[in-house]
Amino acid sequence: MPLVETSSPATTDEVESGRLLSWVGTVDHKRIGILYICTATIFLAIGGLEALLMRVQLLFPNNTFLSPDFFNQMFTMHGTTMVFLVGMPVLVGFANYFVPLMIGARDVAFPRLNAMSYWLLPMGGILLYFSFFTGKAPDAGWFSYAPLSTKPYNLQVAQDYWIIGLLCLGVGSVAAGINIVVTVLTLRAPGMSLQRVPLFVWMSFMTAILTVLALPALNAALAMLLIDRWLGAAFFEPDRGGSAVLWQHFFWVFGHPEVYILILPAFGMISEIIPTFSRKPIYGYAFVAGSSAVIVLLSYGVWAHHMFAVGLGMGADIFFAVGTLLIALPTGVKIFNWTATMWGGSIRLTTAMMFAVAFLLEFVVGGLTGVMFAAVPIDWQLTDTYFVVGHFHYVLIGGTVFGVFAATYYWFPKMTGRMLSEKLGQWHFWLWVFGLNATFMSQHFLGVMGMPRRVYTYADNPGWMILNMFATLGAFAMGAGTLVLLWNIGMSLRHGKIAGDNPWDAFTLEWATTSPPPADNFKTIPEVKSRRPLWDMSQPELADWKHGKTPEDSGRRPSKALVCAWAFVASEAVFFLLLLVGYVVFNSQHLEGPNAANSLDVARTGAFTVCLLASSLSFWFAELALHAGKMVHFRRWLGMTILLGAIFIAGQIWEYTGLIMNDITVDENLFAATFFTVTGFHGLHVMAGLVTLSILLSLAIREDFTSKQIQVFRGVGIYWHFVDVVWIAVFSIIYLGLMQ
Amino acid sequence: MMAFLTDPALWHWTSRIWFVVLPLLVVGLWLRPKPFAARQLWFLAACFVLLMAFVSPIGVLARGYLFSAHMIQHLLLLLIIPLCLMLSLPQGAFASIAESPRMMSLRKWFAHPMLGWVLGLGAMWFWHVPSLCSAATQSDLLGVIRSATFLLAGLAFWWPIYAPLEKYRLDPLTSVVYLFSACLGCTLLGIYITFTTVSVCPAFANPVDRIGILTAIYQAGLSPSVDQQLGGLLMWVPPCSLYVCAIVSVLCRWYSAESSILETSGPNDKNLPEASA
Repeated sequence: MPLVETSSPATTDEVESGRLLSWVGTVDHKRIGILYICTATIFLAIGGLEALLMRVQLLFPNNTFLSPDFFNQMFTMHGTTMVFLVGMPVLVGFANYFVPLMIGARDVAFPRLNAMSYWLLPMGGILLYFSFFTGKAPDAGWFSYAPLSTKPYNLQVAQDYWIIGLLCLGVGSVAAGINIVVTVLTLRAPGMSLQRVPLFVWMSFMTAILTVLALPALNAALAMLLIDRWLGAAFFEPDRGGSAVLWQHFFWVFGHPEVYILILPAFGMISEIIPTFSRKPIYGYAFVAGSSAVIVLLSYGVWAHHMFAVGLGMGADIFFAVGTLLIALPTGVKIFNWTATMWGGSIRLTTAMMFAVAFLLEFVVGGLTGVMFAAVPIDWQLTDTYFVVGHFHYVLIGGTVFGVFAATYYWFPKMTGRMLSEKLGQWHFWLWVFGLNATFMSQHFLGVMGMPRRVYTYADNPGWMILNMFATLGAFAMGAGTLVLLWNIGMSLRHGKIAGDNPWDAFTLEWATTSPPPADNFKTIPEVKSRRPLWDMSQPELADWKHGKTPEDSGRRPSKALVCAWAFVASEAVFFLLLLVGYVVFNSQHLEGPNAANSLDVARTGAFTVCLLASSLSFWFAELALHAGKMVHFRRWLGMTILLGAIFIAGQIWEYTGLIMNDITVDENLFAATFFTVTGFHGLHVMAGLVTLSILLSLAIREDFTSKQIQVFRGVGIYWHFVDVVWIAVFSIIYLGLMQ
Repeated sequence: MMAFLTDPALWHWTSRIWFVVLPLLVVGLWLRPKPFAARQLWFLAACFVLLMAFVSPIGVLARGYLFSAHMIQHLLLLLIIPLCLMLSLPQGAFASIAESPRMMSLRKWFAHPMLGWVLGLGAMWFWHVPSLCSAATQSDLLGVIRSATFLLAGLAFWWPIYAPLEKYRLDPLTSVVYLFSACLGCTLLGIYITFTTVSVCPAFANPVDRIGILTAIYQAGLSPSVDQQLGGLLMWVPPCSLYVCAIVSVLCRWYSAESSILETSGPNDKNLPEASA
């Protein structure tokens, strides 16, 4: 059966000079996946070391092993590292490696973009850790609450490194997310309808959507914080009229979906592993997949449960509490799906399966304490205690980390061709299970007893020391477990048992090729007629498609360029949305000094607005001309579009010059800050569009761009029209004063 | 609380809504399917909710007293009643009307998903421009126009999701995007109303005490600012919950082609052999 064509043959780009260098230049999704995982492992070691330092400090009451200041840096760096440099990359790495294999594709949709996404990861990581060389690492916590993160309270450049590093990682994550979305939507093998994709693929798809829509919220907040710190604006400085609570809102609009970004792929992993080792199909595929889609939606509506202690008002608290209880439903019922999958199956307790079972148990603990926090009074009582630390570590270790460990034992044979040692795996497993429960169950008790988190030491209260010692013991057990895993990997790479194509008799397409897979993934792929193509192949009598029908594949695949453009535009829309929310928030109050009414020339900007909107029209004419193959007309209309866009930019420069001449600059007041931020970012987007259009025009002049590439042109069109739509919103809100 | 709600002053039995509900009921009973079909219940629900939206305390308080009551009425008119009406439409009779050539051009417009989305969201946003919101609360004529536009916009909004005939519906994944973005739209408005310091509907800030219950309302803690916050939250959470439910139903439809054998569990599967071939 023929494979779906991918436009860029990845392997031809491989650099021949030296094996190490070939990894630097690679655009092969499998190698990039491994790079992601290895980078995450390095940062796991660093983040883990930071955790161990904190645990040693907390071993005794009134300990002075770490200074208070250094302790602050440690928990900030530990949190930031584990979320952005370990959790997300390792999950993106697995998705990178296995999503194309599981859907029968040769590579991801955009291999070069994929390489860029990866290289932004070490770049962001190095920027973040470079802060140590400036004398001090960031110390405002992983969520950098304002005003602690603003200039008056935090003069060191470390905070700036934190912001820039995270912006880097944010851009890389969005690009990686777009890549996965496009890959899943456009490159599935024939026969694989979206209702038939393996659950890991579905979950990675959902995660990618979350990433694309949630990360821009963080990026917007980071951009505003950076403008505060570098250009003297006051978005988050209450002293000068800003709002520290706004930072919390923005951060958690990103932060809560982030929780699901970290857990959904782990759901996907164990949804592959439990069926394989129970010899049964997953129980309730549609529920597991559909409920994840619901989680994606709900996760945007519950961020304020991280802010119950802020004082949002009783009404808001109640609504968010109910929302939080609601989101527990689709998550909680899935536990029953996995349990029911094991029910009556012939279970093989390999290390992978043991981690998956442990996932079910430990994740339930984390989930239940999460539901406790939905009750506002409990949250008030326990917020900022070690109970919270215990809760989210059960979710992130019991959930995400155990999922990733299970996936490591499950997929290592596919990635390397050799099996991991089961005996060492048992050691690894039990050390971690003991460590997790010792450390974080103790912390639940400490939290209830009132031990505050983020404080470098504690008084010698009854029972606190013994519980803390136990917690530290657990932390070292987890450290030892990690060393066992690394040793296991190192040994198995050389001496492990040869795996063969399908050592677990698994059901999905990645096992239909050699281990490790060749550069172009497949020679041939089996016919996909159900959710378990390999089962159908090995058991023709009992094939799934003979017993139950799944929705047929329509065979239609959308254009890569268009899906990519829509995903990108959706992401950018969230970014602008938050900036505009900032504008409305700050300008609906009375401001001293310049405001929209006394400093903007609506008529003049209105005229330039007409130019920008006209450019959308001329773009459309260009598209029609390209479609009809009239290249001369095409070039003219395209040139016209660029000219109109340039006139708009000139108008904006004129406006900015006038304002700056009148001493209205970003640091003047909140109107000026929000105005320059919103219009400035919009201007940058127009300029990026102009650069793209100019490239297309020069290609068209050299006759390298023809009507065959009309989908690319349409993709650019989506972006260009989007920029205009954003401007309509900006113009109506800022210049016409809507919503104030 | 119960005594407050059963207070006859809070029930407006002489509302003009009877002029809409009664004819609607007559037409519905006249055209009722034989034998009885579940969609009749949807129709009756639509009539009942429509009546309650104006006759019950919701309707009375929405007339100048409580912004939050106005918001409940607004949601009933824009989301619940049109949804019930849409689900009560008969497929067969509908097909014969919709397929007639005269309806073709009209349908083409009415059925465009962008139109439904823009009307549904537009009605929400448009009627919450402060001056319009106040004017519609104080003027009877504008109030009637507002209610009518809510109902029509609601029908247009639900059309691409629950149109009686399969072929007029959006495909499931696009429907999810449609509903999700609608959720985003009302979330934004809800957030704005909840957290803004501006009075979104000034008419409710200084109510005219028609029936002498204002003190009781304030004593219950529903001061104008609390009232507006509540209204904003109502704008935000219930519609989104409804959209999520709609998304669930769309996803069920999407997966529904599969049969139940794959989903069986327990003892039935014991006879499945190991897959080692």
